Amino acid sequence: MTPSLSCPPSPVDKFWLQDTTIDLPLLRREMDDPTCGAIVTFEGLVRNHHEGRDVSALSYSYHPLMAQKEGQKILETTLEKFPITHALAVHRVGDLGIGDLAVVTITASAHREAAFEANRYLIDEIKFCVPIWKYETYSSGESEWTAPCPGCSGRREIHTCDSKK
Amino acid sequence: MKALILAGGKSSRMGREKSQIILAGKSLLQRTIDLITPHTEDIFLSIAHDDERDHPLPTLRDLEPSPGPLGGLQAAFAHDPDSSWLLIACDLPKLSAPDLESLVAANLKDVSCFRNPLDDHPEPLCAIYAPSSAPQLQEVIAENRRCARRFIRTLERTELTPSDPQALLNLNRPEHLTELEHLEAHGSVEKSVTVEYFAKLSQEADTTRETFSTTAATLTGLWEEVRLRHHFSLDLPHIKPAIDHEFAEWQTPLKNHDTIAFMPPFAGG
Repeated sequence: MTPSLSCPPSPVDKFWLQDTTIDLPLLRREMDDPTCGAIVTFEGLVRNHHEGRDVSALSYSYHPLMAQKEGQKILETTLEKFPITHALAVHRVGDLGIGDLAVVTITASAHREAAFEANRYLIDEIKFCVPIWKYETYSSGESEWTAPCPGCSGRREIHTCDSKK
Repeated sequence: MKALILAGGKSSRMGREKSQIILAGKSLLQRTIDLITPHTEDIFLSIAHDDERDHPLPTLRDLEPSPGPLGGLQAAFAHDPDSSWLLIACDLPKLSAPDLESLVAANLKDVSCFRNPLDDHPEPLCAIYAPSSAPQLQEVIAENRRCARRFIRTLERTELTPSDPQALLNLNRPEHLTELEHLEAHGSVEKSVTVEYFAKLSQEADTTRETFSTTAATLTGLWEEVRLRHHFSLDLPHIKPAIDHEFAEWQTPLKNHDTIAFMPPFAGG
């Protein structure tokens, strides 16, 4: 299965990779549901610094088969684990500039608590368990594959992508 | 020839003393002793400067605290400067009796050693050192250049190729033990595998995918093989393996025609 690299026709309850600009207002409208009193949206943006160095551009690469599959698994686990109505998550791949949207997670529920908690879980799990890598170019002209810094990795204790699961 | 066994201290990565690890009913120390016994009766155990414990073998004490493996060789030549010395680590469980026999039979210059087929370097901790290597040893110790790998490259060497490419694999992590247990139970079985590398690993290997034949038994053995071959900068705990596009445990046995992915830490978001 080759992952689709654009927004799927019905994005609700899906994870996907996209190599074009993420249309956030469109995704937000897709999540409208009269039973939901709370929608939480997380936007991950490309920062201009990483561990003290000035970043000028970056490129995300991914495992062509596993990234889509693992991302969708995480989305489904999130829907099972929390009392939420819907969720979606999209990760950009390819070349991005500073300030570009790199990842979006949206969770919707009747009340705000579940949407907040589910969203935090969803984004953390995506960062830990989806095989995506970042190649950063610095303003010095150097470039390299970067390891996640402690600030990137967030809450380690909920790391669940071990195959034991 | 006399022999000095390096039993190391407590291994922080293994979480226990390596020489006492049991593989197929026998400790690594006993396996090493059994391997050497046909070639010499003068077998010594290298011990730390301050080690006061009882040992099952005659011991040679380091002359100073924490001198590294070359300190063991220094103590050996201090004990008998006219003998050649087999310096051998106890954590080389895949070293075979025929391989050691060929090392002992080789024409000795300053040193007889194996060239490790996995990383193409001469292996200093399974080698026979002639008395002619002692002056050079004194020099590097005096100058505090104690890297055994660098030291051996300064000597006149007779280099041998071991019969099994993984013969000099050393045991550093609990996962390695599982690899060895599989090999003990099932023997060395050749299988064809396709390995995919991603991000930093594909950059370091200068390829994204390769198909080759291996005698590794589990994902651990395969990782150690490619890590040495491509001089990867990352170590096992940082790598996530997958078999046929599913995350897998390091202890998972390899099958013929598996597709393995070795993945460096993810950095999405």
